[in-house]
Amino acid sequence: MAKGNQKKIRDKPLTHSLLEHYQPIDGVVDEMVDASGNPRPVWQDFIEALEQLGPEKLGQRFARADQYLRDAGVYYRVYDKAGANEREWPLAHVPLLIEEREWADISAGLVQRADLFEEILADIYGSNRLIDKGILPAGLIAASPEYLRPVVGVRPASGHFLHMLAFELGRGPDGRWWVLGDRTQAPSGAGFALENRVATTRALSDIYGEMHVHRLAGFFRRFRDALIGMAKVSGGRVAILTPGPLNETYYEHAYIARYLGIMLLEGEDLTVSGGRLMVRTVSGLKPVGVLWRRLDAAFADPLELRPDSQIGTPGLVEAIRQGAVSAVNALGSGLLETRALQSFLPRIARELRGEELLLPSVATWWCGQESERRHVLANFDRMVVGPALSTRLAFEDDESTRLGSTLSDEERAELVARIERDGGGFVGQEAVTLSTTPVYIGGWLEPRPASLRVYLARTPEGWTVMPGGFARIGFSLDPTAIAMQRGGQAADVWVVSDRPVERETLLPQEHDSFTRTMPGNLPSRAAENLTWLGRYIERSEDTVRILRAYHVRLAETSDPEMPLLADVRDYLEPFGIDVDSAIPLGLISTLDSAVYSAGQIRDRFSPDGWLALKDLSKTIHQFATTVAPGDDATRAMTVILRKLSGFSGLLHENMYRFTGWRFLEIGRRLERGIQIARTLACLTRTGAPDGALDMMLEIGDSVMTHRRQYPVQAGRRTVIDLLALDPLNPRSILFQLERLKAEIGLLPTVGGEGHMSPAAKEILQLNTAIAVMEPSDMTANALDDLAGEIGGLYNSVAKAYFG
Amino acid sequence: MLYDIRLHLSYDYDAAAGGGRHQVRVLPPTISGVQRVVAASLSFAPAPSERADFSDFFGNNVTSIAVRDAHDALDIRMSARVSVSRPEPGLDVSPGIDRLKEELCAVRSLAPDAPHHFLAASDHAGIDAAITAYAQASIAGSTAGTVMDLCNRIHRDFTYDGKATTVQTRASDAFGLKRGVCQDFSHIMISGLRGLGIPAGYVSGFLRTIPPKGKPRLEGADAMHAWVKAWCGRDAGWQEFDPTNGMRASNDHITVGYGRDYSDVAPIVGVLKTTGGQVGEQAVDVIPVALEKV
Repeated sequence: MAKGNQKKIRDKPLTHSLLEHYQPIDGVVDEMVDASGNPRPVWQDFIEALEQLGPEKLGQRFARADQYLRDAGVYYRVYDKAGANEREWPLAHVPLLIEEREWADISAGLVQRADLFEEILADIYGSNRLIDKGILPAGLIAASPEYLRPVVGVRPASGHFLHMLAFELGRGPDGRWWVLGDRTQAPSGAGFALENRVATTRALSDIYGEMHVHRLAGFFRRFRDALIGMAKVSGGRVAILTPGPLNETYYEHAYIARYLGIMLLEGEDLTVSGGRLMVRTVSGLKPVGVLWRRLDAAFADPLELRPDSQIGTPGLVEAIRQGAVSAVNALGSGLLETRALQSFLPRIARELRGEELLLPSVATWWCGQESERRHVLANFDRMVVGPALSTRLAFEDDESTRLGSTLSDEERAELVARIERDGGGFVGQEAVTLSTTPVYIGGWLEPRPASLRVYLARTPEGWTVMPGGFARIGFSLDPTAIAMQRGGQAADVWVVSDRPVERETLLPQEHDSFTRTMPGNLPSRAAENLTWLGRYIERSEDTVRILRAYHVRLAETSDPEMPLLADVRDYLEPFGIDVDSAIPLGLISTLDSAVYSAGQIRDRFSPDGWLALKDLSKTIHQFATTVAPGDDATRAMTVILRKLSGFSGLLHENMYRFTGWRFLEIGRRLERGIQIARTLACLTRTGAPDGALDMMLEIGDSVMTHRRQYPVQAGRRTVIDLLALDPLNPRSILFQLERLKAEIGLLPTVGGEGHMSPAAKEILQLNTAIAVMEPSDMTANALDDLAGEIGGLYNSVAKAYFG
Repeated sequence: MLYDIRLHLSYDYDAAAGGGRHQVRVLPPTISGVQRVVAASLSFAPAPSERADFSDFFGNNVTSIAVRDAHDALDIRMSARVSVSRPEPGLDVSPGIDRLKEELCAVRSLAPDAPHHFLAASDHAGIDAAITAYAQASIAGSTAGTVMDLCNRIHRDFTYDGKATTVQTRASDAFGLKRGVCQDFSHIMISGLRGLGIPAGYVSGFLRTIPPKGKPRLEGADAMHAWVKAWCGRDAGWQEFDPTNGMRASNDHITVGYGRDYSDVAPIVGVLKTTGGQVGEQAVDVIPVALEKV
């Protein structure tokens, strides 16, 4: 760290070279330079291009990449003492370059491994040949929590256990790539790889354009097509199952769902009916044929797997047994992540395929066997020792996995005794020294250890390998420091060809047929969240309007006891809004609720919409600590109002009129109807204080209109006419009902086709009742009742669509 | 022995429940060398909207039901006629526990009755240092002798107390309390055996209770019972022990299912949507059928 600081304050040298301070470690392979310090061929053009840009421009370029990631709202979650927090995505700006020919070798090795894995699962959950022949110890499998007995003997409906895999690779001192870990349960990070690519190419578009770098989009397109193909066979939809917004990589789940146009569901969106897996949508239960799960299998079904799971779907295992749904990957696939299994792979490959592994695992010894245990104990200093059944990557598992050479005598003696006693519980793995790759720090390149994550997806033609992936980069030279939870970074991976590469995008090609997604696929939970988002945003706006009107007057009179101000205070108080604080807690919590509702359905938001909402929330929390009542608060309210309008404008102008938008609109119209009716009831009541009617017009944003429409002073009748009964005023009660009537008419009808739903009937009745009312009918009591009736409409909508 | 068994499980909900899905494991199976089921039936009220019967991994009979409509009670009635005939325990041919480990390694199988499934810690019967230490005092020349001794000691050292524990109680907690019911004693024994490296499983079932001399049998006085099976080596195989009564399982023990612990064979599991609590009751009758009346 001290070294880095020195560099920053030093004068810029005349002939600045990025490589000036690049010093790889002895005995460690460096990706960029060879043993004599010269750039390898695949890096030469790239380094030259970076040199030509110079440090100043490079800094600007890399800032551009960071800006992209911030604008896109890319984050991951870190769990620490402060709880679960969103962190910005830590992009290391310099990509890791790999030559196409070398990549071909890696790909071949991983495809072989993927095929082998498929056979191993089929055997363990099927005929048990590997156990019978004594190649795999039965005790090891039986003890694994990832060996799921409820699916033993179940052939996957798709015909395959595995569809999406990731492998963690590292290059050892001998220059060979080794597999550090296998991700077979629900691999994460493919979406982040895509975001890394977008961000990196924002910074280095010209260099990227000139080098022949393989594109990533084709990988995702082929996988999506494969999933859709599988769903066609089983007759149902494709869905991604997420544990929910609190998950470490929820951002990625939402991102992939949005990028591929696939429904994003949580366990409670699903139910099992007649042996089929169904999603609860606003048009009733619809079958799901393919479930791409990002949820660990043990949590998938509280009825047959972990009973304490709150995020699963009761009956899912039964639906899978019936062959009615394909899980990607099959339940039980996580077994292959078991660390001890790596030690058996070479023999299994020989047994099942008559092949040697093209890409070996890092050397692993399971201490459940006598000779292996002795080997581990004899070579303790070169070993990483950890739990045999762990499915975590060794370098991410710092609590229970220890490097032999770093233990004190006491710790060592204790661990050795435990291994002697319970060998089957431990594995030893050769400590890996990872190769280094350049990172850009304060104007220079410096080497840092890196590992590489590569993705494979199954298509009808076989495995397809993502030509790229993401590299984890350590924050220091310590090769164990690459875990992102501990400050590591991620870099893009460029597979570079010496010939032009095919340019693929996700956009449909001309010859592709396409079908437009029909409305009615909207999960009920998403509809409910959208409705509440609409309500919270509207409620915030209405509150802010009242507060602004309050503070303007407070600034003029400085007398909070003035009858009108006292009136407003009493009006707002029951809603948790205390006017004595400039930014009342009730307002903050309403906006927080809006952010929460939106966070539950992030796949349905454009990054712009999400950022606008986050900005709004940031602003109001900031104001809460700085703003004073009166003039200051007036200005603050105006800022918040402008940001709220900005967000509403985004939703209104940019959001496609999917069913989801209609629920947002319904929420908004319901809330506005309620708020206006309530406020009218208060400010137009007989005996309301002086100035109440003018204030009402201001709150209803109708001062100008009133002046134009009525050549008289504001009176009770004109104010009610304009704000309750005028069908052309977007802030009138009648207008809200007209909008509600139109939107509910466009929603899918649940149940009896061609009949009006009870909710639609009630809206029509209320709409008609208001349309024929006269201003004189609108007493304070009638207006309060009206607010109650509009509130009741929400329950009817909820009953019909959110059930 | 021939028995007529009746089981009645009833659940009352504070608030109407809807969307309930359950798996019920109460129907005894025919088990070669142990028991034969002559007839059995299982019914539900209200009638479920979906019902499926299947065998789980361990071979237990499972009935899966879904009750869609709102209901405020669920009644489950099982009746079965079962003939139990267990072999007399012969000469003890089980090895010592050191040789047991070798014999275990030689079992290359993941079949449902393979001992490997029953050696690792499970949710209710983990491996616990205190229980292992307690079990070590039982180590005898043979595995079966070790198991029998542990069975007797638990019977002697622990107090039967229906109020001390719940169905969720784990072996380690019951061990600390020194009290519990058949489920707890079985979990403690399983945990102790696993700690010694002896594969051990949980058996759920019914026990015929013999009324005191001169007193009539009380209807519904019985309850579901639990005991332990232990793997005693290649030749001796699985043997069953009842730590609640300090005895080997006899012809008074009628088996419903096997598992690693209670959670594999709970009579009912399931999720339903209700806002209130639920209260369950069970009534069991195990009636010996006099042969001449058949």
